[in-house]
Amino acid sequence: MTNVENEAIVPAAKKVNPVYRALCKFGSFFGFGSKLYGSNKRRKKIFFDVITYVILVVGALTMVYPFWWMLVASVNGSTVDTLQTVFWPKSLIEGGIFENYARVIEKFDAFEGANYWRIVLNTVIYSVVPVVVGVIVSAAAAFAFAKIDFKGKNIAFFYCMFGIMIPFPALIIVQYCLYSAFNWTTNGLAMIIPGCFGSVMTAFFIRQYLYSLPTSIMEAAKIDGAGYWRIFWLFIIPLGMPAIMAQGILSFMGAWNNYLAPEMFIRTEEWYHMSIALSNLEGRISSDPDYNMAQIIAASVLALIPVLVLFGIFQKTIIGSIMLTGSKE
Amino acid sequence: MEKENAVMDTEPAGQGAAAPVTETLVASGTAAAIRKKKPINRAKLQDNLWGWAFVALLVIGTTLFVYVAFILTLILSFTNYEGQALFKYFGSKQFGSFMNDALFWYKYMFRAESGSGWANAGDMVNFWGTLGNSVFYLIGIPIGMILSVGIAVCMSRDIKFTNTFRVIYYIPTVASVVSISLVWNRLFDIDGAINSILGSNVNWLGGEATIRKITILILTTWKGLGGSVILFVAGMNGVNASYHEAAEIDGANAWHIFWRITLPQLYPTIFYVLVTSVINGMQIYVEPELIYGSFSDPGVGVAVTPFVGYIMNVVSDQYYAYGCALSVMLAIIIFIFTLVEFGLDARRDKA
Repeated sequence: MTNVENEAIVPAAKKVNPVYRALCKFGSFFGFGSKLYGSNKRRKKIFFDVITYVILVVGALTMVYPFWWMLVASVNGSTVDTLQTVFWPKSLIEGGIFENYARVIEKFDAFEGANYWRIVLNTVIYSVVPVVVGVIVSAAAAFAFAKIDFKGKNIAFFYCMFGIMIPFPALIIVQYCLYSAFNWTTNGLAMIIPGCFGSVMTAFFIRQYLYSLPTSIMEAAKIDGAGYWRIFWLFIIPLGMPAIMAQGILSFMGAWNNYLAPEMFIRTEEWYHMSIALSNLEGRISSDPDYNMAQIIAASVLALIPVLVLFGIFQKTIIGSIMLTGSKE
Repeated sequence: MEKENAVMDTEPAGQGAAAPVTETLVASGTAAAIRKKKPINRAKLQDNLWGWAFVALLVIGTTLFVYVAFILTLILSFTNYEGQALFKYFGSKQFGSFMNDALFWYKYMFRAESGSGWANAGDMVNFWGTLGNSVFYLIGIPIGMILSVGIAVCMSRDIKFTNTFRVIYYIPTVASVVSISLVWNRLFDIDGAINSILGSNVNWLGGEATIRKITILILTTWKGLGGSVILFVAGMNGVNASYHEAAEIDGANAWHIFWRITLPQLYPTIFYVLVTSVINGMQIYVEPELIYGSFSDPGVGVAVTPFVGYIMNVVSDQYYAYGCALSVMLAIIIFIFTLVEFGLDARRDKA
């Protein structure tokens, strides 16, 4: 590449269309080569860098704008102001920024036998117990699939993998009927027990990760007399921690944001999941004298905070784990 | 290896019933095998026992909550089940097909004539209408893929803050769909923020059915972008850098490099994203439900409700058997979509 900057290659004496010449000159300013001008790598890179940043920044603003809107809309003093909020709150409710939050927390009392903290506790139970137990169960299965040579391993593996072909909405009716026959729908057990059996996708991703671990450690432990049970707890869990952690957090978020299953499986308000409470909240409180749409927005912000905080803390693990799946496929 | 073990496992039984050909083949190894037999078998037994013990819960869970549930769905779809206590129903006299026709509900969903009452009214309009809506929502997949490949190309350039961008683009994916839908309802209001930013006057939520569906498309595309961007960035990092260099030396420009080298090498990732997002996309339910309400609400119905929303509505009207039949159809439809994708993939491999 010739590094001629803004300099004509073709002598000026030769006749060229002036419009074409101007276009080429314009192009050469950004480093593009043409018949009349040489290209300039450095300028070209700067040009494309600027375009890249513009695209990425515009995209990033689109991604965060709704969240920003939630924050600023949640402090408004009236429904109309909330609706018309664009970048900055139209009005501020009397009593300070957190007034709407405080009021909406009280309004969760509208649910029979529950209040805000009860619903938060329910949701925490639904998204911690099945996820912790389920991820350990999945990790155990992943360990067996990746490292133990047992009879019928492939059959068991494909048996499980074929199960994910059946979509969840197609199973939900019968699952609901089963759980209500077991009496699980009135006490939240329907959200807990099925999750404790692990998830095939989680097991699959952990298995992919465990494959990359060396088998020699396990062999050595075996020679020293350790059984598979001890190998699992002493080696596989700590060594597979990055994958287990990432899958655990992703499942936690999935359970926290779940809507379809709790809508179907929880029939008592006392045991409501946050998603269901939030989606029913507006209908319950919209006739209150001090109702203000900003309160609904405040409740949405409150429901978002735990996952966003978790994501903020573990973003490296989570994104790393997703990238690993991407490069493996 | 496995064959050897199989032979050793049958040996101690001492039946000698194995086919003579195998016996002669293994005969030379038998003497050695007998001496080693005991320790190997014990280790093998340990492997088998612990292997099955570790996968037991997962296999039981899959059996119970997936296979048994699906078989029950299939059985119930041929009956007149209306949500009675499940186990009692199977033993009771009521257990039987609807109007003495096992395929009643499967015929019902394609029936066009209308009569009075649920059982007589035809259902073709609702079935194809809601299925069409689900398919319409799939349009978001190619749009999202083109956008995310573009963004991934930008991110895989040698720039700063790549990690920050990745995190920001992934935030909508982890956010609670209920919160987002509640916010979307206000943002896209006719007097809302989106119209004032764009200076437009589009009735996003209350206008024509197509515009209302496009509002949902914008939401799903926005929410799903981050995940595929990360997968594509990972796929591009995996593209062999030496191909790029070689192409550059040969004088290829960036455009050619993208089409001839980056994209073909990205194909496995693209295929993975396509398959998973079609499977998930056909199960869309929550967003339209939360933004427009359920199927039976006025002005929602066939206009915007996806297939799963229709199933849920049928169930809430206590027509469990019909819901089961529709569920089976959903599973079949998704299965066919996946098969078609894999078929196209196989054809591409051949070419």
